[in-house]
This record gives sequence, structure tokens and C-alpha cells, in this order.
Amino acid sequence: MNVSFARTWSKLTESMLFLPIAALLMILAFDLFAIPGFFRLELKDGHLFGSVIDILRNGSPTVILAMGMTLVIATGGVDLSVGAVMAIASSVACIMINPTITGMALTDPGLFLKDPQYSWAPLWMVIVVPLIIASLCGMWNGMLVSYWRIQPMVATLVLMIAGRGIAQLVTNAIKIIIFNDTYAYLGNGWIILPFSLYIATAVFLTAWLLTRRTAIGLFVESVGINFRSSYYSGINERRIKLFAYTFCGFCAGIAGLIATSAIRTSDANQIGLYTELDAILAVVIGGTLMGTGGRFSLLGSAIGGLVIQATITSMLSFGVPASAITAVKAVVVIVVILLYSEQAQKFIRGVGSVTMRGEAAR
Amino acid sequence: MTKSRTLRIAMTVGVTVALAACSSTATTAPTTAPVVTAPPVVTAAPPTAAKVYTYADMVVGFIQTGSESGWRAANTSSFQETAKEKGLKLNFYDAQNKLENQITAFHQFNQDPTVNVIILAALDVTGYDDVLKEAKTAGKVVVLEDRRINADASLYYTYIGSDFDAEGQKFAAAMCDALKGFPADKHNVAEISGAVGASAAIDRAKGFREKMGDCGIPDPTSLNLSQTGNWGVPESKAVMEAFLKKTKNIQGVIGHNDEEAIGAIQAIKEAGLKPGKDIMVVGADATADGFKYLISGEMFADIECNPLLAPQVYEAALKALNGDLSLPKWVPSQEGQFFASQGAAALTDILKTRKY
Repeated sequence: MNVSFARTWSKLTESMLFLPIAALLMILAFDLFAIPGFFRLELKDGHLFGSVIDILRNGSPTVILAMGMTLVIATGGVDLSVGAVMAIASSVACIMINPTITGMALTDPGLFLKDPQYSWAPLWMVIVVPLIIASLCGMWNGMLVSYWRIQPMVATLVLMIAGRGIAQLVTNAIKIIIFNDTYAYLGNGWIILPFSLYIATAVFLTAWLLTRRTAIGLFVESVGINFRSSYYSGINERRIKLFAYTFCGFCAGIAGLIATSAIRTSDANQIGLYTELDAILAVVIGGTLMGTGGRFSLLGSAIGGLVIQATITSMLSFGVPASAITAVKAVVVIVVILLYSEQAQKFIRGVGSVTMRGEAAR
Repeated sequence: MTKSRTLRIAMTVGVTVALAACSSTATTAPTTAPVVTAPPVVTAAPPTAAKVYTYADMVVGFIQTGSESGWRAANTSSFQETAKEKGLKLNFYDAQNKLENQITAFHQFNQDPTVNVIILAALDVTGYDDVLKEAKTAGKVVVLEDRRINADASLYYTYIGSDFDAEGQKFAAAMCDALKGFPADKHNVAEISGAVGASAAIDRAKGFREKMGDCGIPDPTSLNLSQTGNWGVPESKAVMEAFLKKTKNIQGVIGHNDEEAIGAIQAIKEAGLKPGKDIMVVGADATADGFKYLISGEMFADIECNPLLAPQVYEAALKALNGDLSLPKWVPSQEGQFFASQGAAALTDILKTRKY
């Protein structure tokens, strides 16, 4: 123990990434000892299988949602509607692949059997249109929050509740099962690694470039810290908020497409259920302050998303039934709240300063 | 005018005379219907006294469970289509799979004087006693559709639906067939069951357990491999994923409906295993979606459950309105089963003739 250790320690603990990475490592260490074969990887038909891959694959929708949510929370808001927007996007996508089913009768099933590539609308439209609609949903939230000055919690609650109704209206409350193989690639495809992982990476890079290679990131932070002074220094804070919510809707759209293609069904009631809470939790684990906003870390949120999924996957491997997973998540929430409390933060930093004081006394 | 006059007469003459008139006017009913058992509902409806009901007079309040599966969609559209065909008025209520919604809707239909028939697809086996009693006093004809309930039989007219217990036994038989190629100690079957409390889930599970011993399938519950998928793909997939995370020593899965079986199939594939080879999957309902997986060979067998119950249900309700109480308390529907071994071509031909 010496001064240089104390310095690196204090630098380390000050980094926003310290806690999320520490949490992830702790969970993985637990898996290493408690669950034999957790890190085993298998290559079958050119696909990589294993629990670690499962974490990455199942975690990618949460990571994608967390990207948009990070920006929204950084502006001092919150978006509760992402789960419902996911449902809307998935319903729109499914109806475009197979619109005939919404009429009364189920369509001639022979059609789908003959052609696994059957899609009513061209596939690029099946991807683009839901994303546009999801972005519009986000823009609606942004309008309510920035121009009409409605509390973010209340404004997004509107769409959270109405969204599932809209999603049900779109598909006439019927669950459409889709057989299109190309579309299923979004959630089920593999290029050695699961395809959804590449999408998540792309979304992360886009968000990172948008915020860190332009001034937008700075603007978002300043709006979160103090929107009035941002306004007086010439930042159009309303437009920044509008952007953040729209981007959040866009991310929810992507997550919705992945979710619906992973299960090949448009299930307006179950798709994206409670994912808004996962996304918020991921952002909070990532170190962005909920409620006050300000400084944010996209990488932190991404790791936060993986922390949640790693917890779930390890618990499943450990033998915890799927229905009890929500209870485990609650434990994670409590631990996170405790770790981010003032006292805990002081204690963690204190480990370094104690040694520093010790050096000085000698 | 005539209606109100008959009503007034009926009311003055009293219920006993009304009953007598009822049995004399019901000419379509088999003359042998003695009805010794306490006649439910109809006695309290004086207008039936002088009138022979047709479908045009029928106003139906239909309380559906929700829209949880393809089977349900076919069931709902069967009721809507048939109502149009027969020219009766259908008030459709989608309970969104919430029991309290069903109860509220039931109350409303009870209080609606225009509604004379209430059809219920019950979400749970219990919880309907109060509204059923209320319906009896209000003089509504109650017909249960698809789902059985545990209530006093005098509170409803009849139940029309599948023999879920028999379906459960078919699960076991089909699974035994599927596991023939596996060694005797490798007969571990996971069960993704329907919504907790639903009669379809309870009886299918019971039927399966009655016959699973025939080829030495251990109880999924004792293996901790039985959990609900709530009739849906996403939850069932998550459940199967959890099972496969826990153990790879699973040779078979039964899904209580096609969606649950499909969810299981997807989880199996994502775990790098082959459904239909490493793990045998049996589903129920035999919807078009299920057929697709049957044809691809990923599902081993699909137990049929007929959702097109509307004609039978409406006919029964009409009989009840006209005072015919001869129907038994349970009218089972006719059902078969399908196997992947029937071959893709044959299955495709069958699928083309099917309506759901």
C-alpha cells in the first residue's frame, strides 16, 4: 500500500464505470465457483452456444433500450413507455408481414407453408415503418415533456398505458405468428455470435458517436444539470429533450423488432412487459443519476444491462424458477440503491484515503 | 304491444301457469323431457310463456377469456361468424384474461334487460357463484363454453366443451410413442402448463399424470420441470430456457397448447438442441400454427381441441329459451390428434381443410 495505490484507487472509484464493472465481475466470479460449466462454450453448426452467449443475446434488447433511456434520464426525465412502444413496433411489423390474419378468418395457411419468405410488405418496409412509428411515439413523449411541460413520469405514463391498447388495435387483439425466416434472423440469427448482439453494438456506437463526437452529449448533460441556465446560454433545451425522447422511442422500436422476431409472434400483451423497468435499472446501475440527470455514461448503461441479464441467467442456471426471477431483480435493485448511497460511496472511496493518511503519518 | 300484453297476462296468472304453458308451447322439444331436476333459470322468465323463441329474439352476452392464443381467436370468430349467420345479436366482451373483468361483465349482462343469454368461457374454475346466482334470479340462460367450472349444476344450463382429461391422457400416449427410441431411464418430460386455475390446464395435467406411468415417465412436478407458460409463446420460451439451463437431461416437453409448445421449440433450438430429435415436443389445440411445426417435424404430435363451438352453444341456448331442459350438463365435443409421422404432404392436405 502506498500513495500511488491510493491515487489509482481514488481515480478508479471516481470513474462511473467502476461499480457496474465491479458488479458484473462479482456475478461472473460467483458463476465461476457456484455453477460448474457456466463458461463452457460450444460451437454447433457455426453458432456459438453457452451461458455467457445467452447473457449477451438476451441482454441485447435491454442494452438497446438502455441507450435511449440514458439520454432521457440524463435530461432529467424518464420514459416509462418503452415497453408499450416495443409492443406497438412488433404489432406493426407482424401486421405488415401478414395482414390477412386480422380479418375475421385465419388466412389460407398453405401460403405460409409453401413460401417461408412470404411477406406482404417488402422486408425493408417491415423494418423501417415500425421504427418510424416508434420514433413518432417517442417524439410524442418529447412533445408532452418539453413543449407542454408535463412531468416526464406522467407524460410517458400516458403512452405506457395507451400503447398496449394501440398495439392490440393494430393486430385486432390476435396474436400473429410469423413464419418469415429472414425476419426471424433479427432475433434468432447467428453470425458465430447472435445477430441481436451486432444490432446492440451498432446502436451503442450510433448513440456514442451522436453524443460524444458532436456537442449533443454536452447539451444533454447541461439540460439535465440545469435547463434554465442552459436556455440562457443559448441551448435550445426543448429541442434537446425532444431529441432524447425520440431517440428513446427509436431504440424501443429496435428492441421491439428483436423481441418479436425472437419469439416469432406479435404478442401485444407480453412483448416488452416491464422492460421499461429493466432499462431504467440498467441506466441507474450504469451510474447516471435518476431524477436529477446530468452526467451520463452510455458504456455504463450497456454494462448495467448486462449486469441485469447476467443476474437472471445465473439465477436460472442456479435452479431458481423463472417465475421467481422478479424477486431476484428486486434484490438487485436494493443492492444498487445501497451501493449508490452517499454513505457507501464515501466508504468505497475511504478505502483509498485511509491508506493515504497512513502513508502521510509515517 | 302483443309482447307487453302477454307479459302482463303472464305476470297476473303467475309462475305456475307460466310453467305449464311453457311445456305445452315447447313443441320442438322431445316429448319425453320430464325435467324432474330443479329447472334452472327458465322458470323465472315469464315472457317465455307464450312465445317460441327463434335466433332473431336471442340477445347474447358473450364473456370471452381474452385473446391469448390462435385457438382463442378461432373460438371468438366462430361465435361472431355464427351470430351473423343465425341473425342473433351478440354482445362480445373480451376480459383480457382477468377474472375481475369477467365478473364485472357478468354483472353488467345480468342487469341488461335486453340480454337473455349469457355465454361464459371461464378463466378460473371458481369465483362465479355470486354472479351465477344473480343470473338465475334475473332469468338469464347461462351456457358455459370451453371451460368447466366448479359450481352447483343448477346455476347454469349446460357446459359445452372438450374433455380435457381425455386430452391429457392423449398427451401421455403420444409422449410414450415419441420416447420409444430413448432408453428406459431417459424418459424425463417437462411440462409447460396452461394458466394456473384454468380447467383446461388442471384437467390436462391430471389426464397426463393418469397415463404417464404406462411407459415410465416420471412426474414432471417431482422433477421440478412443470411450470405455467400462461398459454403464450414468450413466457413459455422463458420457462423452457430456464429448464434447459437447469438440466439438459430432458427428452420430452408437453405444452398445454400450441403456443406453449412453439415457445418450447424455440428455446430448445436456441440451446443448440434439435426439437423432434433430441427433445420430443407434444402440443395441443392443433391450430394452423401448430400444424406448421408438425409439418416441419419439430413437433411430434398435436392433440386436437375444437374451438368451433358456437353452433352447438347457440343451439343449446335456444333450446333453453324455449324451455327444453333435456340437454345433459356436459356436451363433449369431438376431437382427434395428429402426428408428424403422418408426413408433410398428408398434413398439408389436412391443414387446407381446417378452419383454424
